[in-house]
Amino acid sequence: MTTNATSAPPTYMTAKGFTLTAGFWMTVATFMGLLGATELIAPDLTENIGWVVFGRVRPIHVNLVLFGFVTPGLLAAAFYYLPRILRTELFSEMLGVVTVVLWNLVLIGVVVTLAAGYTQGREYAEMIWPVDMGVVLIFSLVLINFLMTVVRRKEPMLYVSVWYACAGIVLTATTFSLGNVIWRPDTGALVGIPDAILLWFYGHNVFGLLLTPLAAGVAYYVIPRACKTPLYSHTLSLLGFWSLIVVYTHIGTHHLLQVPVPTWLKVISIVDSVAMVIPVMAFLINIWYTAKGRLGEIHNDIGAKFVFTGTIMYFFVSIQGSIMALPQVQRITHFNNWVVAHAHVGVLGFAGMISLGGLYYILPRITNKPLFSRFLADFQYWMILIGVVGFTVVLTIAGLIQGNAWYNGETIYRVLPEIHMYYITRASIGLLVFSSAVLGLYNIIRTLYFNPGEKLS
Amino acid sequence: MYYPYFLTYMALGLGITLIVFSWALRKGQFNDQQRARYLPLHPAPDPPPPKPSRFIRLEVLVLFVMAGLGLAASAAVILFALVHGN
Ligand code: HEM
Repeated sequence: MTTNATSAPPTYMTAKGFTLTAGFWMTVATFMGLLGATELIAPDLTENIGWVVFGRVRPIHVNLVLFGFVTPGLLAAAFYYLPRILRTELFSEMLGVVTVVLWNLVLIGVVVTLAAGYTQGREYAEMIWPVDMGVVLIFSLVLINFLMTVVRRKEPMLYVSVWYACAGIVLTATTFSLGNVIWRPDTGALVGIPDAILLWFYGHNVFGLLLTPLAAGVAYYVIPRACKTPLYSHTLSLLGFWSLIVVYTHIGTHHLLQVPVPTWLKVISIVDSVAMVIPVMAFLINIWYTAKGRLGEIHNDIGAKFVFTGTIMYFFVSIQGSIMALPQVQRITHFNNWVVAHAHVGVLGFAGMISLGGLYYILPRITNKPLFSRFLADFQYWMILIGVVGFTVVLTIAGLIQGNAWYNGETIYRVLPEIHMYYITRASIGLLVFSSAVLGLYNIIRTLYFNPGEKLS
Repeated sequence: MYYPYFLTYMALGLGITLIVFSWALRKGQFNDQQRARYLPLHPAPDPPPPKPSRFIRLEVLVLFVMAGLGLAASAAVILFALVHGN
């Protein structure tokens, strides 16, 4: 295994690779979302074309958003900031590049197998065993690179972003293996209720212990740097980190409040969901106080602007989440588009925004050239912001209509026409987000490879 | 049959957390919190980027107009669907 020579300037090959990966798969993932949304308006659109029926398009969309767009974007930033904070070099740029290549092969595997109908049929764990093993492998490679970089550090103190990045990868490797029941290759599942419980421990943790820590790590790096000021409180950040790790691991059962699972598990999940206010507010107070009086600096840096907006979305999604975990509320909001709205605020508004922010923050620094177009990035920012807010409003309304109809025993065929116009609006917003992804990819490629801008000193 | 899996799951999470936490405590990771606040600021912040070239501005403008036209056309179709849909 090769490591960088001590004196050579970093090439940032891994960060560049993950940046490109995120940009490319964001376009595919959002296209799949758009296609799925269109099929909800016109179900006959892809009739008889087996590999793009809704049941296959949806898992491709969510898995690509998760593992193709948001995670690689956050990893690109982590591969940039970890060596800098630790005052050392990345353990192995070569290993990083191999990881990027394998990562993309796994993503191709995800698309091909799911489109061909090979699925284990469990939400967020649809991938079949060989693909699962690929995911475990790539996370293990990232973990080796991160941990070895930490071991070789010259800075003895671990800044909170380092904690978040490493924890996100360790916990995901564990959670993914357990949640996908990888010791049962044929089904990838247990039987009955225990399977649902295990699946949702994984299902929620993939957001809470992968996207959330990686995004928090990026925010804790980008905001102080963009504001050119120290973090408000490192102690508070560590309090937030450790409480997140302890609390989040237990809340998966809040997805199963209407299922006959043991009551004590439901109680733990509800109490911990409300207790999430502690890590969430510890994080937000810290970031917002760091940025206090320096919003101008954040405006100047498009990366920081994305990241900061992501933290505001984190506030909304988390407060909403704590309330949604209450059984009385969930009686209306469960099993309908309300949850889809929440999912989009979380994954696109919070983690996706911070992922893009991380990319745009590091791009000029890893290429040593200015961003190809700040205007395009700003345009993308507004399209995504409008997109997230639009999704939230439309899907929440549709969800409330569906939830109330169900609660009152209304039959489904009377409800579908009522929500039709919301579905149309949702698809149009999907078009906005997809277009912004294409512009974003163009901006990324031009910045990385065909950048006429003059070199930074 | 319920318990082994999720108890393993919770125990594993808690176990890893406790081990790492005690390591951090022993290694003095929680000692110098004032200095830790400054860690992301090293090395010094980068200089402001230079202005982009005129050509880029033109190219971006064309791209923007194309994207705008595409979106406007789509919006028109959607509006039509909403008004005349049913
Ligand atoms: C305090 C923090 C949070 C709490 C307490 C919380 C709570 C919940 C609850 C109770 C549900 C289930 C709703 C139902 O099925 O009726 C849910 C679903 C979901 N949450 Fe959150 N949430 C939080 C933050 C987040 C974040 C930060 C993200 C994304 C990064 C996220 C992504 C999702 C997704 C994708 C679903 C949909 C799962 C499905 O497909 O059914 N949540 N959340």
